Amino acid sequence: MSRLLQRAGWRYFRARPWQLGLSLLGVALGVAVVVAVDLANQSAGRAFALSSEALTGETTHQVLAGPSGLPADWYVALRRDHGFRQSAPVVEGTLESTLEPGRSLRVVGIDPLAEAGVRPIFGGLATGGGLGEFMADPDAVWMLAEDLARLGLAVEDPLPVTVQGAERELRVAGALRPESAMDVEGLRDVLIMDVAAAQELFERGDRLDRVDLILRDAAERDAVEALLPGDAQLLPSDQRRDTLADMTRAFRLNLTAFSLLALLVGAFLIYNTMTFSVVQRRPLIGQWRAIGVGRHQIMRLILGEAALIGLAGTIVGVLLGIGLAHLMLDLVSRTINDLYFVLSVRSVNLSPVSLILALLLGPVVSVLAAAVPALEATRIPPRAVLSDSHAEGAARRGMPRLLITGLVLLAGSGGLLLLPLGGLLPAFAALFLLILGAALLVPALLSWMMRPAGWLCGRLFGLPGRMAARGVRIGLSRTGIAAAALMVAVSAIIGVGSMVDSFRVTFADWLDVTLQSDLYVSVPGDSHLHPELVRDLRVLTGVAGSSTAFQTRASDGEQRHRLRVFELDATPDRAFSLLQGDAETVRTRFADDGLLITEPFANRQDLQPGDSIALRTPAGVRELDVLGVVQDYGSSEGAVIMARGLYSRYWDDERIGSVGLRRADGVSAEALEQAVRETVGDRQAVRLQSSEAVRELSLQVFDRTFTITHVLRLLATLVAVVGILSALTALGLERAREHAVLRAIGLTPAQLWRLVTLQNGLIGLAAGLLAVPLGIAMSAILTQVINQRSFGWSLSLQVSPALLLEAVLLALLAGLLAGLYPAWRASRQSPAMALREENG
Amino acid sequence: MMRPYRWLFPVWLLLAACSDAQHEQSQPDDVAGSGMLGALSGEAEAEGYARVTGPRDFDFPDDHGPHPDYRHEWWYVTGNLAADDGRRFGYQITFFRFNVSPDMGQRASPLAGNQVWMAHLALTDVDRERFLHEERLSRGSGLAGAAVEPFRVWLDDWRLSGGEGADPFPLRIQASADDFALDLELEARKPLVLQGDAGYSRKGDAPGNASFYYSWTRLAAAGELMLDGEEIAVSGTSWMDREWGTSTLSENQRGWDWFSIQLDDGRDIMFYHLRLDDGGIEPRSKGLLVDADGDSRLLSLDDVELESRRYWESPAGDARYPVAWRMILPGEGLELELEAQVDDQELRNGFRYWEGTIRVRGEGADGPVRGYGYAELTGYTTSD
Repeated sequence: MSRLLQRAGWRYFRARPWQLGLSLLGVALGVAVVVAVDLANQSAGRAFALSSEALTGETTHQVLAGPSGLPADWYVALRRDHGFRQSAPVVEGTLESTLEPGRSLRVVGIDPLAEAGVRPIFGGLATGGGLGEFMADPDAVWMLAEDLARLGLAVEDPLPVTVQGAERELRVAGALRPESAMDVEGLRDVLIMDVAAAQELFERGDRLDRVDLILRDAAERDAVEALLPGDAQLLPSDQRRDTLADMTRAFRLNLTAFSLLALLVGAFLIYNTMTFSVVQRRPLIGQWRAIGVGRHQIMRLILGEAALIGLAGTIVGVLLGIGLAHLMLDLVSRTINDLYFVLSVRSVNLSPVSLILALLLGPVVSVLAAAVPALEATRIPPRAVLSDSHAEGAARRGMPRLLITGLVLLAGSGGLLLLPLGGLLPAFAALFLLILGAALLVPALLSWMMRPAGWLCGRLFGLPGRMAARGVRIGLSRTGIAAAALMVAVSAIIGVGSMVDSFRVTFADWLDVTLQSDLYVSVPGDSHLHPELVRDLRVLTGVAGSSTAFQTRASDGEQRHRLRVFELDATPDRAFSLLQGDAETVRTRFADDGLLITEPFANRQDLQPGDSIALRTPAGVRELDVLGVVQDYGSSEGAVIMARGLYSRYWDDERIGSVGLRRADGVSAEALEQAVRETVGDRQAVRLQSSEAVRELSLQVFDRTFTITHVLRLLATLVAVVGILSALTALGLERAREHAVLRAIGLTPAQLWRLVTLQNGLIGLAAGLLAVPLGIAMSAILTQVINQRSFGWSLSLQVSPALLLEAVLLALLAGLLAGLYPAWRASRQSPAMALREENG
Repeated sequence: MMRPYRWLFPVWLLLAACSDAQHEQSQPDDVAGSGMLGALSGEAEAEGYARVTGPRDFDFPDDHGPHPDYRHEWWYVTGNLAADDGRRFGYQITFFRFNVSPDMGQRASPLAGNQVWMAHLALTDVDRERFLHEERLSRGSGLAGAAVEPFRVWLDDWRLSGGEGADPFPLRIQASADDFALDLELEARKPLVLQGDAGYSRKGDAPGNASFYYSWTRLAAAGELMLDGEEIAVSGTSWMDREWGTSTLSENQRGWDWFSIQLDDGRDIMFYHLRLDDGGIEPRSKGLLVDADGDSRLLSLDDVELESRRYWESPAGDARYPVAWRMILPGEGLELELEAQVDDQELRNGFRYWEGTIRVRGEGADGPVRGYGYAELTGYTTSD
C-alpha cells in the first residue's frame, strides 16, 4: 500500500516539474546561503585561531605597550638585569605589496635568537638565509613558500611594497616551510623580518609593540608586573586572543542569522508547495482514506515527500554553498580586516561537521514546514468529494484561528523586544516571530484587501477585473499561501535594504559632523607626523584653525582601550555629536579634566556620564571621569577620547597622526593645499586629503565593509524571486481546471489571459504592499535592536520610498511574470482537454 | 701560536646551534652559498672584516673589551675547584662574539646590529660523575656585549665583571643555569702572557690568517656554587684566554686535542695536537710552558710526546673520545699521566665537543708532580 502511495506522490510531482523544480531551487538557495556563510565563518575563525597559535607559540603572557610604547631598553633590562630569558620582542605592522594591491600583509618583526623556546616555528629562522642577512639587512623578509609561489616570487627577488604611503622595496631573503600544515595556515600573508628592521620600516624609533613571555608561575608574573612601565600591561596570551575573537563574534552571529533568514524564505517555499499538493490532492487523499489508508500513512507520505524535496534541494544547496563560500570568505575576511584586525583567510575549510549539519538542516526544516499541510491532509475525511468551495469554506472558517495565532506571535515578538533581556538571541527570535506572525495574517488581510481591489479592478477592467479580485478571495487557501511566501521574501529585501541604507546615511551624517576641517594631513599606516612639521603647518598663513588627532591604546589594568587624543579646533560639544552628557560640562571640563567615550564603548563597557575609567599612565593609575558619550562609527570596539592637554599631562608623547587645517576666509582650497605641499616638501611622505575626499574614502571603505550585506540582500532577493515564481506558478497551474471551465463557458483566450494575469498581478501587488509594513518592522528590529546589540552603534532608521516602491514593483512584476506561463497554457489548451486531464 | 684552529670552533658552534634548531622545528630554504657556513668561511667571505696582519701594541684595558670589526672573539675561562669537604668540580664559562655581517650600514634602531653572542656554561661534579651544561645565544644591542672601565662581558644575566684598572681583576663570574649556578671571584696569580709573537698568533701562510691572543694561565678562584639547591663554598685555580681575529677555515683538518695543565710545582702547560684528515698531526701544533715565576717558552710539536691511552664512547653515539693520555716533555724532565676526572664531559648542543676537567699525575726532575687541567677535544663525532 505504501508503495502505491509513494508512486502516486511521485506521479503528482512529475506532472508539475515547474512547481517541484522551483521548490527544490528555493531550498537549495536557502541551504546554499546557510552553508556558504557557515563555511566562511568557520574558515575565518579557524584562520584566526591558527594564525594566533602559530604566532603565539609557547608564549604564556604578553607585555603590551601603552601609549608610551615599550622601550627596547626595558626589554634589554628584563633579560639582562632580571634574567627573564624566555622573552621575545615583537614589532608588528601591516603593509601592502604592489604585486597584490588591496590585500594587507602582516609584518612580524622578531629576534630569531630570542625565539628558540618561545615560538617554535621561528626557532630555525636564523639559518638557511643566514643570521647575518636577517640581522643586518633591513630589507630582508622571510615568507611562506606558498605565498611566494602565489606572488610569483623566488628567494632573492625584490618585493615592492607600500608602507605608510611610501613605496619601498623589500627583498625576499628566504622561504618558510613549516612542517606542520597548521603552521602553514597560520603564517599566511605574514612577512617575518628582524625586529630592528621592523622598527625602522614603521619608524618606531626604539619602541616595541610587545614582549612575548613564557612565565612559569605567579611569582614570575608578579615580578614582571612590578617591572612594567607605568602604562604597559601584562596579559595572559590566550586572554588577548579571546578578546580579539570576541570582537568578531557579534559580526559572525549576524551573518549566521541572515543566512537563516534565507533558509526561512526557503522553508516558506516548501510550505507553499506541500500545502498546494495537499489542497490539490484532496479528492485523491479522500479516496485513499476510503480504501483504508490510515491517517499516519497519509502524514508519513506528505512528510516523506517534503523530506525528499528537502534532501534533494539540500544536496544541491550544499554543493552550491561550497562554491559560494569562496566568495563569502573573501567578503567576510574583508569585513573583519576593515572592522577589526588584519586576518588572512585564503582557503575554505570544509568542516565535515558543518556539512553534515547542513545536510540535516535542509530536510528537517522542510519536514517542519510541511507539518501543517501534513496535519491538514490527515483531517481529510474518507471519500472526500468535497468541492473546492467546500475546502475554501473550511479555509475561511480557519481564518480567525490563523489570525489569532498570527497576532499572538506578533505580540510575542514585541514582548521579546520589550523585555530587558539584551543579547542577540532574543532579538533574532523576535525577528523570526515577527516574520511568522505576519505570514499567518496574510490570508485575512488578503481577503480584506480584495474587496476594494475588486471594485477598483471592476472599474478599470470590467468583468475580468472583478472576477480576478473575487478569484483571489475565493481561492484563499491557495492564494493566501502564495501571497504569504511572496510577502516574506519581499519584506526581507526591504528589511535588509533599509538596514544598509540606515547604516550608510547615519554614517554619512556622522562624517559630516566629524569632518570639520578643510584639509587633512596625515601619514598613511600607523606612523606619525614629525612634530616640527605639525607646528609649521598649523601656523601657515591661510590657516584659520587647526586640529590634531592621534590614536593609541591605553590600559585600564585588564583591557586595552583604543585611546583617541584630539586637539580640537571647535569646542568639544560642537566637534562631537553628544548622545549623553551635559554639553556645558563637556565644554568646560574636556580640555583637562575628563574623557568622552564613544557609543559602542559605552555599550560594551556599560558606562555612562558620571562614571569613571582608570587608565594606566607612566605616573601610575589615574581615575578619569566620563563626561559624555558621543556618536561614533569609526570603530565597533569603541574608543576613549581625550584632549591633547590632558594627555600631555600624563604622557610625554608628542606623536600626532593627522592634522586638520581650516581655511581662512578668502583662501582657496588649492592655495591652501599648495602652501601645505611647499611646507612639507620632502620632509616626510604625507597624505593630503580634502574633507570631501576623506568622506568619499570613508564611504568607500564603508561600502566595501558591508559588501557582504549587499550580497546577502541579493541572495535574499534571489530566493524571494524563486519563491514568488514558485508560489504563483503553482497557483496558476492548480487553477488549470477552473480556467478550462471559464473557457468552456465562453471566455476567449485573450480574456482568460487577462484574467489570470490580473489575478497574479493582484496577488503580487497585495503581497508587495503587505511586505512594506513587515519590511519596515524588520529593519526597525535590525537597526534599532540587533545592530545596537551587535556593534553598539545606534542608527537612525532610514526607509527610502524608492526602496519600498522598488520592492512593491518587484512583487507585482514577479506576479505578472509568474502568471505568464500558466496564463499562456490556460489560454492555449482546449478546455475539454484540460477538464479531462484534471479528472484523470 | 696557540690553539690556532680553535678559531673556527665558535663558528661551527654557532652554525650547529642554529641548524639544530632548524632541524627540529622547520626547514627554511637552504639558499646555496648564503647560509651561515657560507657567510663565515672562505677567503672571499672574510672581505669587509678587519684582519690581523702583524703584531700590535696592546692597549689595556681597552683590548680586554670587544673588537667588533673582527669576525670572532672570545673570553674563555676554565677552572678546577674544590669544596671544603674535598668535593672536586670543574667549570667552564665562555663568551663568544661574532660579527655576522661586516658591511651593515648605519641603522636607526637601537636593536639593529651585526653582533651575535654565544655563551657556554658547564659544571663537572667529579664525585658524583655529573656533567651539566647550557648554551645561550643573543644579539648584541645591550642584550649581550663587553666593555671596559669597569670591565664586563655579559649575555643576558650571565656575566663577568671586573675592575677599572688595566687588568680585569678581581673578576667576578656570575651565571646561573636551570640546575646550577656559579658565583666566583678570580685573582691573577701570574701576569698576562702574550701568545705567539708578542700576541700576534699566525695561523697560516696567507696574510691576515692570524689572531691576537693572550692568556692568564693561573688565576686563583674562590666563591660559591649552587647545585641541587645547596650552596657550596669552593676555591681553586682557573685559566682565561682572550683571542680575536678574522681567520678562515682550513680544509684538511679533522679536529684538535687541546690541553691546559696547572701543576702543583707552579708550572703551567698549554699544548695541542691538530689532527689532520689523513690521521697525521699538523706540524704547526704547538704549546707553551709558563714557569712558576711567569716566564714562558714555546713548545714545538717535537718538544712534546702525546699519546692517547683510553677511549670513551659517547652515549649519544657516533663519537669516541680519548679520555686518558700520556704526555712526555723530555726537555722539561716531565712525564705526565692525564685522565678525565669524569668521562662524560661532552657538550651535546648542536655542535658536539668534549671540554672537561682532567687530573694530572707524573714525575718531574725533582720528584712526583700533580695537578689539574682542562682538555678540549673536537672532531670526534663521525657524523661531522
